[in-house]
Amino acid sequence: MKWKVWFGTIENEEIEVSKNLIESFEKASNDEPLPFNLFEYGLKVFQNEKEYYRKLRQVAIESTEKKVEKEIKREDKYAIALVKALEEVEEAINLLKEKLEDLSEIKEDELVKDFKEKIKSLEGLLERIEKEIDDVMKKISPNVTEIAGSKIAAKLLERAGSFEKLISLPASKIQIIGAEKSLYKALARMRRGKTAKIPKHGVIFIHPFIRTLPKSKRGKMARFLAAKIAIAAKIDYFRGEVEEELYEAVRKRYEELRRK
Amino acid sequence: MKEVVRNVFIKSDNTIFTRSKYGSHYGEKVSEGFREWIPWRSKLAAMILKGYRINFKGNEKVLYLGAATGTTLSHLADIIDEGIIYAVEYAAKPFEKLLELVKERKNIIPLLADASKPWLYSGIVEKVDFIYQDIAQPNQIEILEENVRFFLKKGGEFLIMVKARSIDSVADPREVFDRVRRSLSKKFEVLASDSLEPYHRDHIFIHAKA
Ligand SMILES: C[S@@+](CC[C@H](N)C(=O)[O-])C[C@H]1O[C@@H](n2cnc3c(N)ncnc32)[C@H](O)[C@@H]1O
Repeated sequence: MKWKVWFGTIENEEIEVSKNLIESFEKASNDEPLPFNLFEYGLKVFQNEKEYYRKLRQVAIESTEKKVEKEIKREDKYAIALVKALEEVEEAINLLKEKLEDLSEIKEDELVKDFKEKIKSLEGLLERIEKEIDDVMKKISPNVTEIAGSKIAAKLLERAGSFEKLISLPASKIQIIGAEKSLYKALARMRRGKTAKIPKHGVIFIHPFIRTLPKSKRGKMARFLAAKIAIAAKIDYFRGEVEEELYEAVRKRYEELRRK
Repeated sequence: MKEVVRNVFIKSDNTIFTRSKYGSHYGEKVSEGFREWIPWRSKLAAMILKGYRINFKGNEKVLYLGAATGTTLSHLADIIDEGIIYAVEYAAKPFEKLLELVKERKNIIPLLADASKPWLYSGIVEKVDFIYQDIAQPNQIEILEENVRFFLKKGGEFLIMVKARSIDSVADPREVFDRVRRSLSKKFEVLASDSLEPYHRDHIFIHAKA
């Protein structure tokens, strides 16, 4: 068994020291726990304990600094690509389901079975995409995800276009992201002197705290939620640290509206 | 002022500090070699203020999962002043701030890694005496167990912070906590566990021995 460690490899108690410590540090992966204490082998390579940790720390800092910078640049792109994939797979499933219905009305045969299998496998894929969106959003936008759920958080990011753009949006815009079409329609009607309803919520409408309220109170909740999302997005973008109070405030407002 | 845990002091007005050579990291007050430790910002401070103790000697090897921006870690680094802390965090944003701390302290090794994949850092982290976990994930117990299997010495201890809502967003917190405690006590010896109220709502800590 050859064990990969940050300063090289170890096989049959023989140490081969790496020539590029950053590279070996980044590849120090093993399927099973090391059956020995790494530090003891390390002492054979570095003169003493102090030198071992000095070097390890130096390599860790250098490697991590680069990775952090790279990840910050691209992580919102990944979330956005996932949302697009999600929506397209959803669409494909709906389309196949329609066709299946048409077909099975006429004839029940092999082909129908194939359709069913295809749909099932796509639904499996959909689930995996959802799980990945959940994981990614928790990581890159913990506060928005905490108060809005990962699906809404990801869709807001996707509709905004980037993290940077999302944080530049006022709460009133966040509230109706995803309802732009009905907004434009309403505005056009009003311009023609007709009455129209301005939409009160876009993608945030699927939030359980909005959906489960009576219609008359949904607008209020949507406005409150959007305001908190705007704050949460900024915290996520600039600090990335969880603020427990945000969720508490949203939950309180919901309870209030429900009771009234 | 009384030293209740190595380098940790509580004043008569119930404020808590760590003895430290370093400056402020997250806006806490610093004076004459002591850094104020804000219990609303740190679950470990809350636990100690509630009267629980961990017997740190100061030269331990520690694996810290979920370091975030390093608020608690900065104080733990004051406590483990002669040891080494491997600090794992997977989100890049808070890691920027964490790196500031790491550059100041010689006893922290930073790892931008997913704690649910300990094999990825198995050739970096040595066997440790103590694992601290605060990651707010539904499968945090599983993640803990994998890290115990990879890194914790026999007889080593761990301390985990559990937030009810991240394990189960609808169940009654007490029920969630019972479930977690029960599942852990099958494999480990639970030394202490309690809620972190009033500092952290619907959170508990569990201190146990492997
Ligand atoms: C509640 S915060 C930790 C606060 C910190 N312990 C303190 O007191 O200063 C939880 C942290 O765990 C991180 N986290 C969650 N899941 C993780 C995982 N699988 N691997 C690494 N870090 C994770 C999050 O990014 C977040 O920064």
